[in-house]
Amino acid sequence: MTYPEVLAELIEEFQGVDDKMERLEMVFDMADEVVPYPAERWDDESRVLGCQSEAHVHVELEDGKVLLFAGADAKLVQGLMGILSIAVNGYAPAQVLLLSPDFAEEMGILNTLSPSRSNGFRNMFDKVMKDIRGLQ
Amino acid sequence: MALRDDFPILKRKVNGFPLIYLDNAATTQKPQVVLDAMNNYYTSSNANVHRAVHTLAGEATEGYEACRTKLKDWFNAERAVLTSGTTEAINLVAHSWGRANLIEGDVIVLTEMEHHSDIVPWQMLAEERNIELRYVPVMEDFTLDMDAYAASLDGAKLVCVVHTSNVLGVRNPMEEIIELAHSRGALVLVDAAQGVPHERINFQEFGADFMAFSAHKMCGPTGIGALLIDAEVFETMQPFMGGGDMIETVTITGSTYQTNEHKFEAGTPKIAEAVGWSAALDWMSTLDLEKEHQRLVKIGSWVAEQLRSMGMAVYGRHEKNDSAVVSFNHPSIHSEDLAHLFDSRGFAVRTGHHCAQPLLNRLGITSTVRASFYLYNTMDEAELFIKQLKEITERFG
Repeated sequence: MTYPEVLAELIEEFQGVDDKMERLEMVFDMADEVVPYPAERWDDESRVLGCQSEAHVHVELEDGKVLLFAGADAKLVQGLMGILSIAVNGYAPAQVLLLSPDFAEEMGILNTLSPSRSNGFRNMFDKVMKDIRGLQ
Repeated sequence: MALRDDFPILKRKVNGFPLIYLDNAATTQKPQVVLDAMNNYYTSSNANVHRAVHTLAGEATEGYEACRTKLKDWFNAERAVLTSGTTEAINLVAHSWGRANLIEGDVIVLTEMEHHSDIVPWQMLAEERNIELRYVPVMEDFTLDMDAYAASLDGAKLVCVVHTSNVLGVRNPMEEIIELAHSRGALVLVDAAQGVPHERINFQEFGADFMAFSAHKMCGPTGIGALLIDAEVFETMQPFMGGGDMIETVTITGSTYQTNEHKFEAGTPKIAEAVGWSAALDWMSTLDLEKEHQRLVKIGSWVAEQLRSMGMAVYGRHEKNDSAVVSFNHPSIHSEDLAHLFDSRGFAVRTGHHCAQPLLNRLGITSTVRASFYLYNTMDEAELFIKQLKEITERFG
């Protein structure tokens, strides 16, 4: 899979770190990249199902480019949202829809991305893509 | 030779660190004798059971039925149906006994402490039959409200109660619960998935009508469990799943069924799993389970105390008969983050709602971190767990 340059660099950066705790810390730091979706706006529409934490996403188009708003209880989920934000924000929907969720696995953060109820990240990724398709 | 040497998986590393497996309430690890038994079965005796006359089929049948015999001995039970696990066992009761005996307006008593496996089958039946479900509340001290339980029994036909909570580790007063239910004319189903790994229950003395549990929580393989049924109740029950092995005769106009446990075991059964479970029971019978349990409760209670002293919210009381399950939440690190951080240092702990959402709702939370200890866990591991939590708190808290 070819990723946008900024995401490819991030993947490489993660892959350069052997210690998993350090990698997790790097993900936690990515939470700062999230455009916050305030808790008072969280509803069933924005909820990501299957997450162990409360996780909410909302997508808008700004000048025809994707803008992802997100919020979650767990720092790991917030960090993953931050990484996803880097991957989608400012890009045209058609370009974003080519993205694969495998980058989280390639970064060595998640062990598997099988689409199951326990995989909140996969559900979040799928929901963001579905919402973007709905905006087109 | 230490007991844990029997478990090859405990020698592996996870993320570069020695595995410390504390997810035993979800599933336990398997001793080498279980792995060998299943491997030997497939290597030398694999065949289908019951009908064929050849040697391999005889050996397979013997291996499969030996598991039933051992379960009957272990639990002093007259009827032991082999199922795929606790969930199927409970569903069996709902479909067979429930459909034959429960009608509109009847009452089933459950508790807020139940695993989803002991809630959803009853909700499905309740919806189909318009049956009332009553839930016994869990109190602030993490025990069942026994006054509410007694009051809930009016008109109840069935009581379904978890023996030991998979979240709290609390062992319910089952003897009292069963006696009271029977005195009011209700049958009792016990979800003993978390109870049987720690307590050798004498089913006939216990007095329950149904008891469901799984092999994999007591060092046996996944995919097999059992439903013990009171002998008299068993005679009244009809099969709910049709197919091979459960029939006596089949004609194009109708069929007759087996009268023993086979009537509930349609299709090719879990043969290798039964062989593995037998080996696990043999292995466990060499241990002083009561002594091991007390050792584990001490570990659980020590861990709970340490966690409280570190400002964690701990759910459970960790008394003598409870299981060594410690559920908690960190004041500033989300349970999911904490479980990932533990995993990065080789610790396997569980996080989430543990398939007990009504209980977590009652506690006002959506998830916990759960560390659960079993036979091969040591005090050293418990100390390392606490040490690791202190390090994580210092760095991420």
